Amino acid sequence: MKRYVMSIDLRRCVGCQTCTAACKGANATPPGIQWRRVLDIETGEFPDVQRTFLPMACMHCANPPCEKVCPTRATTKRADGLVAIDYELCIGCANCVMACPYDARSIVHEAHYAYGDTPMASEAARFDPDRIGVSMKCSFCVDRIDLAERTGQIPGVDPEVTPACVNSCISGAMEFGDIEDPESSVSRLLAQTQHYRMHEELGTEPGVYYIWDQS
Amino acid sequence: MFTPHPRHEEALFYLLAAIGGVVSAIGLAAALYMEHSGHVVTGMNNQIVWGLPHVFAIFLIIAASGVLNVASMGSVFGRVLYKSRAPLSGLLGIAMLSGGLAIIMLDLGRADRLMVAATHFNPTSVFGWNVILYPVFYGLVGVYLWTMMERRMNPYAKAAGLATFVWRVVLTSGTGSIFAFLVARQAYGTALLAPMFIIMSFAWGLAVFIIVQATMYAWNGMTLPPLILQRLKNLLATFVAATLYCTAILHLVNAYFAKNIAFETFILFNSEFTGAFWIGQVLIGSLLPLALLFHPATRARATWVNVAALLVIVGAYFQLHVFIIGGQAFPLDIFPGYDVKSSFMDGAVDHYTASLPEILLAVGGLGIAFTMTIIGVRVLHFLPQDDLAEIEAAGSITD
Repeated sequence: MKRYVMSIDLRRCVGCQTCTAACKGANATPPGIQWRRVLDIETGEFPDVQRTFLPMACMHCANPPCEKVCPTRATTKRADGLVAIDYELCIGCANCVMACPYDARSIVHEAHYAYGDTPMASEAARFDPDRIGVSMKCSFCVDRIDLAERTGQIPGVDPEVTPACVNSCISGAMEFGDIEDPESSVSRLLAQTQHYRMHEELGTEPGVYYIWDQS
Repeated sequence: MFTPHPRHEEALFYLLAAIGGVVSAIGLAAALYMEHSGHVVTGMNNQIVWGLPHVFAIFLIIAASGVLNVASMGSVFGRVLYKSRAPLSGLLGIAMLSGGLAIIMLDLGRADRLMVAATHFNPTSVFGWNVILYPVFYGLVGVYLWTMMERRMNPYAKAAGLATFVWRVVLTSGTGSIFAFLVARQAYGTALLAPMFIIMSFAWGLAVFIIVQATMYAWNGMTLPPLILQRLKNLLATFVAATLYCTAILHLVNAYFAKNIAFETFILFNSEFTGAFWIGQVLIGSLLPLALLFHPATRARATWVNVAALLVIVGAYFQLHVFIIGGQAFPLDIFPGYDVKSSFMDGAVDHYTASLPEILLAVGGLGIAFTMTIIGVRVLHFLPQDDLAEIEAAGSITD
């Protein structure tokens, strides 16, 4: 059994938003919709104040509230741990947007592009009319994960089958891989570090781990 | 009191039905416009995804359940004076549920896929339960009306009334639970919401019933007997007080948890929703009606009881506005204990202004409920006929 997860080393993230831009490019999300964003958090007390950058997206929870509340089973949890949306089943009720503790979901209401009515080549290539009027979120670049199944490549190792945000990170803050495989880079990294998951108290069992120090 | 002349009565009926039809059609046109243009033409956004249409829809759905309380008082609890009102309450229940459902269905991002909710039913989704809850509600109320209106079916009225009573409690619990299960948001995520929605339904449904009944009596040149007026106003006052009590408990409990203090401060003291809460919900929707219903100078006068019922309905709007829109406007507590900001509204309070299409859709739902009611009472002769002699002869208002 696989479970793909992501780790983000907060000591390395510099808040450059390259992952945000890479995500938009790879998934052609319209203006106003960001599957990935970077939070800016002030930590510490004056005069010892620091800025901490916290990349956020869908946590691909093992126990996703969005899946429970979806009236049409458009949101499902895959065997490999990814939380996926079937755009053809979503009725756009927004119940999942209300239920997500991570503000990870958006509803796209119109075909809109970065430069007005004319799509760029990447936007035209990725345009899907089924994504209009329905809920959407980070998919962990699911098409790449599915490609790995067909080609035998390893997500997190081979860039072609690794999420765009992970590939683009300028400081190597992000790792991706199968946490059930003890030899995966993400498993080894998590074994060596102290980390937490967002809102663990809600029992969602998120699939994104934030590293904050050595073990 | 306004009573139409018999010669004008029919013309007035057709005029009112036409107005209701036009309002409904405008609402439908607004829905088509939103469907064609997308929800970008609404005031809703990524943070506030449920707006004014949801406020109106949920009011109608909750009140539809609550208005049947009048019928239940007669059939289930054996109160004689409510029995003659049961058919009207059943009709109002169906009419308001139809208006509310029309709004909520037409406001979906993909209203064209509504049938998917039935073909891909998710049993863990309370929202999804509505696929079962609403059709069964229609069916039960329909059977209930049948047992009341056809003499040979009368023996089954009590059983049908009991089934309807149980089902509407389940239905309203479901509506409250949609919010109760949203654990991530400070405004919701409490088991109190299910019983609170039931109490709210009693108050709002009875308020609507009192207004409609008063209109029908005036139309027919009749006066509501003082005994019945007193019973209805006492019942309304009880439900309004209970709703206010639940509201107080909801906010007190919420404020007791440190993680929710910022949200409670936002709603109760420091936001655009503060006035709507204190003036709209508490003063107009609760305290003023209670004063009118209990003050010696107003409590025995039908006009003031009707005013109180109207205020309860106005207060219901403010209550749902604060609850639904205020609950979404406050940012999610993404990283507890820290101030969070981003270029995507994280940590920021959002603002919502309903657009014209949304307002028209919401009012269109009211139009549907109004049209169904006015045609129903005309065709089916649901004017409550009280046999006060029977009540007095029984020496009690119970069977």
